[in-house]
Amino acid sequence: MLLTIKQLQVKYGSQTALRIEEPLSFERGERIGVIGSNGAGKTTLVKALLGLVDYQGSIITQIRPEQMAVHMQSNSYVSTMPVRRIMEMILDTNIKENRELQELIGFFEFEGCLSKRFHALSGGQKQKFTIIMVMMQKAELTFYDEVTSGLDFESRQKLTEKLVEWYRDKEDSLIIVSHYYEELEQLADKILLLDEGRVIAYGNVKELFLKYCGDAVYILENTPKNHSLAAEFRMLRSPDHLLALSCRNKEEERRMLSLFVEHNVDFKRSSSDIEIMSINAKSCFYGEAVQG
Amino acid sequence: MNNKAINNRKKGCSLRMIGYELRNINGNFMTHFFGIVFPNIMSLLFSTMIGKQAPDASRPEVTISVVICMALIMPMSIMFLGYGSLYSQEVEREIPQRMHLFGFGEKSLITAKIIVHLLFLTGAMLLYAVVQTLLLDIPRPALSSLLILLVSLYLIGVIFLVIVHCLANIFRRFSVTFGVSMTIYFLLMMLTGMMGISTDQLPAIWQKIARMLPMTYISNDFAGFWQGGSYNFMPYIQSCIFLAALTGILAMYAQYRGRRVRK
Repeated sequence: MLLTIKQLQVKYGSQTALRIEEPLSFERGERIGVIGSNGAGKTTLVKALLGLVDYQGSIITQIRPEQMAVHMQSNSYVSTMPVRRIMEMILDTNIKENRELQELIGFFEFEGCLSKRFHALSGGQKQKFTIIMVMMQKAELTFYDEVTSGLDFESRQKLTEKLVEWYRDKEDSLIIVSHYYEELEQLADKILLLDEGRVIAYGNVKELFLKYCGDAVYILENTPKNHSLAAEFRMLRSPDHLLALSCRNKEEERRMLSLFVEHNVDFKRSSSDIEIMSINAKSCFYGEAVQG
Repeated sequence: MNNKAINNRKKGCSLRMIGYELRNINGNFMTHFFGIVFPNIMSLLFSTMIGKQAPDASRPEVTISVVICMALIMPMSIMFLGYGSLYSQEVEREIPQRMHLFGFGEKSLITAKIIVHLLFLTGAMLLYAVVQTLLLDIPRPALSSLLILLVSLYLIGVIFLVIVHCLANIFRRFSVTFGVSMTIYFLLMMLTGMMGISTDQLPAIWQKIARMLPMTYISNDFAGFWQGGSYNFMPYIQSCIFLAALTGILAMYAQYRGRRVRK
């Protein structure tokens, strides 16, 4: 067991930013994606686990905060010297003599940035700079708090791919806070969904998907034609411009598929869509009925 | 159960950290200008201006009085104004917190900063001594007087560094910290005779305040025993204790304010 959270409550003044009532356990080697809208309590949870905010309740773990590594939403450094110097000071090493660090710098294609000052780096380069140092900490638990926010689509994709590639076949425990569902689909194997400081859902992605969405989900454009075709199936909650249809078994899926082929309907199939799962988990938590 | 924020990190102050802080201070224009250029210019300017009005016989004494007085600008500029501008910018950008998250403790961070600022102050004082000795007619000091002056400059420097460190942690904004420290800096310069106005020329209430500050004694009295002689150090020591106590109270308040991080 990596850590267990029991009755955790964080308050900023009179406002409760986070209230976790049911015990939550994180196992070693797990990659937990934390999602939720702004103000859901994601960063507050990270800060509580790092001991940066006062809290009530208990966080039971053998890991001390200094054994955790974190990439915060915003990471600033002095701008009076090249980032190479900052990196060497923080990691207390010489880049030329540290092959592991050289490998990581090469992996993130950061060699050309070492002589630049921090303020001269692009958004993506700034993120990579902190990520390299965070990875070099080799912590028992690593947090990535909105590591790709503020980046353009292409930079975001590339950075996510790099993270996925780096952590493939490794056993590091990660807690990844993100607004981007596709990022978590690639990086996380468990999801913690928060809303207004409360836990809406927590568990394995597949299990949560099965619980809130069924075996698979077919996602179509929300048009009158598609709406009438979908009427006979169980319709899940989805963003307004889409229709999400739940398949509870193979027979239902075959029926759905032949109908779409017959009527030439464009669709996307998923058995792990975190966005649709989150919307329906929230809807279920707040007692809103699902159609169909 | 109520759990307090934990921030006990382990990395200590290393040589690499000192090298890093040296590069950091070198990038700070405020420290260079107010710590090196400003005291030298002020001393040369005032020595020439006041020296011209003094009789030939007392000119060396007037000169040394100005040189000692202007030497006070160095610890105040480097350790107070310069460090304040550097550190408050770091606090505003949450750089110290980032360092804590990388495992650096508050003690090791401030130790490296104090060491580097003391090194810079030493360099500035050496340069000041060379420039002033070459360009002005300064009488040779008694060793004890020189040592007392040096210890006093370092002591004042450390006290002012702690004061501005606390101010930056309280205000957490560069603009506010810089505004407050700049005001205090010029106010202290005026009160303690560094702006060309003698403490005796100030209104009575200001004189009382000035007498609570060690800089007043250094700037007004230290020239009197530059080449030896007796001096009653008690009021000076009392003023040092008073300033240190005030700093201690400020440090406790800053710690109290920073006991919890609210975002």
